[in-house]
Amino acid sequence: MKRRTFLGSTTALFGTTIFSGALPLVATAQTAPVTGGTLIWGHSETTQNLDMHQTGTASTGRVLQNVHNSIVTVDKDLKVIPMLAESFEQSEDGLTYTFKLRAGVKFHDGSDMTAEDVKYSFERCADPATGAVNFEVFNAVDTIETPDDMTVVVNLKSVNAPFLSRLAENGAGVVMPSGSGDTQGETPIGCGPFKFVSREFGNKVELARFDEYWDGPAYLDGVTAREIPEPTVRLTGLRTGELHMINDIPADRAQEIEDDATLQVVKWFPLNWDFVNLNHTFEPFQNPDVRRAFDMIIDKEMLLEGALWGQGATTASPSYPTSASYDTALTQRAQDIAAAKQMLADAGYPEGSLNIVFKATTNYPYHIESAQILVEWFREAGVNLTIEQLTWADWLSQCWVDKDYQMTMMNFFTLWEPDFLYYSLWNSTGAFNYRGINDPEIDRLTEEARITVDPAARADIYKAVQQQVFDQAHDIILWFRNGSIGAQPGVGGLDTVVHPNGSNFNFHKVWLQA
Amino acid sequence: MAYLINRLMSVVLTLFLISIITFAVTNILPGDVAMMIMGTQSNPEALAGLRESLGLNDPLIMQYGRWIGGILTGDWGTSLVFKEPIGPLIAQKVTASALIVVMSMTIALVCAIPLGVWAAVHRDRWQDSTASTVALIGVSLPDFFWGIMLILLFARGLGWLPSSGFVHPVDDFQLAIRHAFLPSLALGLGLMAHLTRMTRATMTGILGQEFIRVARAKGLSEGTVVWRYGLANAIGPVMTVAGLQVGYLFGSIIVVESLFNYTGMGWLTYQALLNRDIPLIQGSVFVIAAVVMLANLAVDLLYTLIDPRIRLA
Amino acid sequence: MRGFLTAKGLIGAGIVMLVLAIALLAPLVIPDRMATAMDMRARLSGPSLSHIFGTDQLGRDLFFRVMLGAQTSVLIAGSAVLMSIVIGLPLGIVSGYYGGVIDNVLMRLVDTLLSFPALLLALTISAVLGPNLTNTIIAIGIAFTPFLARIIRGEALRVAQMPYVEAARAAGTTDFMMIVRHILPNIMPAIIVQGTISLAFAILAEAGLSFLGLGTQPPDASWGLMIQASRDYLDVAPWTALVPGAAVAITVLGLNMFGDVLRDVLDPRTAT
Repeated sequence: MKRRTFLGSTTALFGTTIFSGALPLVATAQTAPVTGGTLIWGHSETTQNLDMHQTGTASTGRVLQNVHNSIVTVDKDLKVIPMLAESFEQSEDGLTYTFKLRAGVKFHDGSDMTAEDVKYSFERCADPATGAVNFEVFNAVDTIETPDDMTVVVNLKSVNAPFLSRLAENGAGVVMPSGSGDTQGETPIGCGPFKFVSREFGNKVELARFDEYWDGPAYLDGVTAREIPEPTVRLTGLRTGELHMINDIPADRAQEIEDDATLQVVKWFPLNWDFVNLNHTFEPFQNPDVRRAFDMIIDKEMLLEGALWGQGATTASPSYPTSASYDTALTQRAQDIAAAKQMLADAGYPEGSLNIVFKATTNYPYHIESAQILVEWFREAGVNLTIEQLTWADWLSQCWVDKDYQMTMMNFFTLWEPDFLYYSLWNSTGAFNYRGINDPEIDRLTEEARITVDPAARADIYKAVQQQVFDQAHDIILWFRNGSIGAQPGVGGLDTVVHPNGSNFNFHKVWLQA
Repeated sequence: MAYLINRLMSVVLTLFLISIITFAVTNILPGDVAMMIMGTQSNPEALAGLRESLGLNDPLIMQYGRWIGGILTGDWGTSLVFKEPIGPLIAQKVTASALIVVMSMTIALVCAIPLGVWAAVHRDRWQDSTASTVALIGVSLPDFFWGIMLILLFARGLGWLPSSGFVHPVDDFQLAIRHAFLPSLALGLGLMAHLTRMTRATMTGILGQEFIRVARAKGLSEGTVVWRYGLANAIGPVMTVAGLQVGYLFGSIIVVESLFNYTGMGWLTYQALLNRDIPLIQGSVFVIAAVVMLANLAVDLLYTLIDPRIRLA
Repeated sequence: MRGFLTAKGLIGAGIVMLVLAIALLAPLVIPDRMATAMDMRARLSGPSLSHIFGTDQLGRDLFFRVMLGAQTSVLIAGSAVLMSIVIGLPLGIVSGYYGGVIDNVLMRLVDTLLSFPALLLALTISAVLGPNLTNTIIAIGIAFTPFLARIIRGEALRVAQMPYVEAARAAGTTDFMMIVRHILPNIMPAIIVQGTISLAFAILAEAGLSFLGLGTQPPDASWGLMIQASRDYLDVAPWTALVPGAAVAITVLGLNMFGDVLRDVLDPRTAT
């Protein structure tokens, strides 16, 4: 897809989910919601640590979206709106946030949510000992006060512009019952529309309706998320009726399922974005010219076509496509293998002297496909690339934790809040900086953005960060990927499933036709 | 009696050796339990502390002692990924696998014995070569390839049977059988081919023997000769071979259960290996080896009962 | 040699020779990169004149892949079986020839190892060592060793009790000479037969390991890996599974037929 058409389609696709197989859908969509039944969802990934604070994986967050609520949330235009706080206000100086809590919110254990629980949850997230992914959201927090049961006041030491919108993410803004921290990893408890029942690791998660949900009970009796990473098995399950719904329709089959009038399809853009990672502690990759040359070896359009059957759109900017910090002016380096070869030779790596191991995880089958395509191009450029396939657990332990890799590939879901994206990924102290990037310019910019309140000025800072990431080729940003859900005709309320962040699913308003 | 005691002593010794080998192999695995527990929150100090408290710094012999002590007293430890006690977890999965092992064995025997007998009766004629060719092709295809073909045909094509998942027989017996059927068939086809060859060979040998010729000379019907006299004598060796195939089945379930998302022992072991869940790898590998050994022992003992000559040996 | 002149013998030998020829010659005739060259315009295209076996999901020609994959599969299976013979031979001979305590200890160990299904053992070893070509060979090789050691031990024991061996021993022949002169030549037929049959199992084991992602790594072409990759495209492009599946089946079939006939000819005692 060319850039212009891509931008056009972004606006067309975003915010409204696109349906096909229209006829049966119209028939079902017109029927009124009914209560009852357990929805069997073929989930494309395995859940990991179930502690909402500690988990860094989108797969887990996707399921826990049903168990937890956060203090605030966002609407379809990514505007921060009330959730467990029925109102919130920010002081003139930007240093004090006051949250008025919603009355009558119950946790799954039957207890009432109070200001004490909010304070507990925020402090738990901020405590380094917890190991929360989003701990730095609370870095600027000075004190948290609870003047009464229904009021929480957060005092900051310094202005933190993204603070409120980051609380709209469950990872930081989730409210857990006071004292429940130790058990969250195995039996998460919150105040969402579904109670956690059980999980069999690598197999399934079971959720049951929470009848006392503050926003009214869900229609479904429960949700069983069967974890089926194998695309074919997932698809067969949908076809044979074993599964009511699957997410992530294999890219090569998307068209076929859309054309199938007996199934419903929901598509949205973007689901997430992918990039190729170069480990900055690996000697050759300390030279920016080598990184730029690697970037130039890759034909992103061709790779998207090859690995994802074109189900996505290439981009050089990872910002949410409709957000202010999305940089339309930034374009990817075009493939030029001859020039890349010359650059590598100039950098001291003549043909045949670079042997690189590319670690790709089988959790994303299209990463394995991508790796195989890359091998061909790199061979043309005189670089010997060998693939090492890793399971998800191994990838997390080797690449993410131990940073023991030379080259790899990963995806992140696009967040509306650029601070999370740019600070975590590219600041030298960021929680997601598993590439060992240390760029003082980016550190300065990402810190500056935090104290810049004016939205336009902030957006410009993040564009400067993107420019720097691109100029230095810190990472090779590839594309946004389409999200998709396939479902049986009897599943109602599908248009409410996908959270505005494009990754999380919520089954509160979903029902099953008898 | 002495034979029995002897056998039992040797079983205990073999189990002991199995436990040592299991423990040794899993200790060479990269990464350790502490690393797995800490996961994305690992840092050197915390890891060192956890290793100390888990006793991972003790000499291997002490660690082994603790582990085998736990096995003997019923404390198998806790799985790192399932967060559940390993003993009950394995017990539950062994039941699931037992269902497909028994079903595939039944399918294999029910098909293999008539086919093998048929081939032996019509030795060196077209029936024989047909049966032998079918059997040869059967053993030559990997069982996961059978599995893929079965999914295509019965789940996707005809829509008769589910392609994945496990249902406990106590919850819904009929559904449990339906879920277990395709994996069992995928396992059973290869086994059937093997047992057909076995039956044919044994039957061929027996049909050539003196007492069969005598029976025929006495004017007994061919059916009586083949089934009453021939098969009765062939069934022992065939059952022995079938029993010895339990080991082969327990290797194959790893592939087949993973293909069918059938959550039994094979699936569990594969998950444990993929996720470096060391306590669970130790537990499940030990159990599989023990089951295989006990199955072989059972075959041996049964054979002793059938054939008293062995008792003297 | 008359036993080879049956249809089964000829077909078996023919297949084995054909596969060996492909494994050896294909890499010389077909440029290495033909197995990985991609054509995004011709993905999952069915068998045609330009791609006689069709193409896979990345537009790679399946004919070239399956031809070049023969090398990987044969190399792994052959090396693994060779490895298990090299380790199993001394173990088996020492055990069978000397008997007594050595025999007891070694065979107890072998019996214990035999309790571990070969595929489970290979998977575990592969997970320990990390999956790549060499480690796949090692994993399968070790997993097959106890089986071969057992067979060789039985043969050595049988030969060691033969009258002429007893006679040679009485004449004062050294153990080493005895093993080289009498035991080895006499157990060779059994080793050849079992080796051939093990090759068939090793081909299947490689396919199983690669299928589970613990064997050959992409983009190398191996039959097991090709079947694994085909899983996602089965109902739109069944040939992606059938081509490598048929390659495995034909090879294993050939080895089994050849093994059967070899047994009839070389080692009639154990023939079934």
